Amino acid sequence: MKKMLPESELARDERFVRSDILARVHDPRGPRVAARNTGPAKMAVDRPAAAERSRSLMHGIFVGEIQALEGAGRTCYDFDDDQAPFALKLDMARQCWDESRHCEISVKLGDHMGSEIGEYTESTFLYQAACNPDPVLRLTGVNRALEGLAIDVFSTMKEFGHESGDPVLEFCEDWMLADEVTHVKMGSDWLRRLTANDPERLERALEFQRTVDKLFSLGGFRGETDENPIQLARRFRELAGFTDEENDEIAEVSAQATEEARRMASQALIGTN
Amino acid sequence: MARITLLPEQFSLVEYDAAEVVAVVEEAAALVGFPTDVDVVVEVDEELFAPLVGCSADVVDGRAHVWISGANLEDVTRPRHFSADRSRLDFVIALLRAKDRLGPDFADAPADAELTLAERTAWDAWSEGRAERLGVPTRRQRRLYDYRLQHGFTDVADAVFDRLWAADTVTWAGIREACKETGASDRPAARVAADLLRQRP
Repeated sequence: MKKMLPESELARDERFVRSDILARVHDPRGPRVAARNTGPAKMAVDRPAAAERSRSLMHGIFVGEIQALEGAGRTCYDFDDDQAPFALKLDMARQCWDESRHCEISVKLGDHMGSEIGEYTESTFLYQAACNPDPVLRLTGVNRALEGLAIDVFSTMKEFGHESGDPVLEFCEDWMLADEVTHVKMGSDWLRRLTANDPERLERALEFQRTVDKLFSLGGFRGETDENPIQLARRFRELAGFTDEENDEIAEVSAQATEEARRMASQALIGTN
Repeated sequence: MARITLLPEQFSLVEYDAAEVVAVVEEAAALVGFPTDVDVVVEVDEELFAPLVGCSADVVDGRAHVWISGANLEDVTRPRHFSADRSRLDFVIALLRAKDRLGPDFADAPADAELTLAERTAWDAWSEGRAERLGVPTRRQRRLYDYRLQHGFTDVADAVFDRLWAADTVTWAGIREACKETGASDRPAARVAADLLRQRP
């Protein structure tokens, strides 16, 4: 079996369609929409296209779960025991089991909302964060950045389920959220253990996490204001082992990304006109 | 056949073929039995993309005016390309609702921008049920979710949805009654204008 599988070789059936990032970046509608008031970005039942936005996000969560499963699964196989201890692989195997359940739950939530598998395109940038050849950096990218994002997403969806009175969504998101807190905690624990005598490697790993976190906050996707669809879940992050300083840092990166998106949109609009 | 006017006449931001869009609207008009002596203006907002869907159907100065987001017509797996399959149902529903407005049963109904989200989703539920009986492929679960977000995830709301979906005749008063029955009438007013996506800077 091949080691270090690139994202281009991920197995998908004919229902899945990969999104073209370049086409999205060059879409002439992007800056025009950015300049318009399309309602609060934060999920709510009275914002325009609330149901469709929820379905689209749910599908994004579903494909994210597949990629998280693939990322954790690859870590079980890609490294020899001297690179990654067996106990770490055991944790990753347990995580695979969790992610598999999340995939199934997400499919059922998609059904509940009236969408179909493959109805929206799949972006594979989550998996790309799981391709680092250094197990410590990969663990940081997947279990702290990616799974940290999952905490924020599930917490946001859970809140939306509560607000909309949807007991199915609220319940499912709450259970998945509990798993994600455990995954982040595993990442934090292994990061500490594997870099106990290697501060340089620890710093490289944290730097990699910052890069991935910035990517996940791109365009103001995540943050702490109504302009951000996904809200930073500080309390659950604390439970997962993130310090206040780390949460503040992510909030800062998110605020910068939101501002950057706003600036780029207005520049692009000037260019378009 | 009703005369269809498409705005814009040509698309510049998306690769939609105006003639193809008009053909789908004409097909929908024929299917719903839209009065041939009433002109239809279809305004597509080509700036909007998925998931920013939205559609309204009003009668203004004796003409049906359908506003629709470009996202409703878009092939989600091929951004900026038109999907006749995806847009057919939305045009059928829009024209069914415009036709309702031309009759006495909906004479008192406010313009789409003035409808509450609950009223709108109840009306849409009835319309999609009718579309299904006309032989158009529909997505009941999808419509149910849209409806539940406004009427609640309750047995009472679901029973009203079933009734609306299957009804042969509903009046504007019936839509309002349905909203009372589910408790949606007592919910706080939306904080965002119903036609926000239509508003351009």
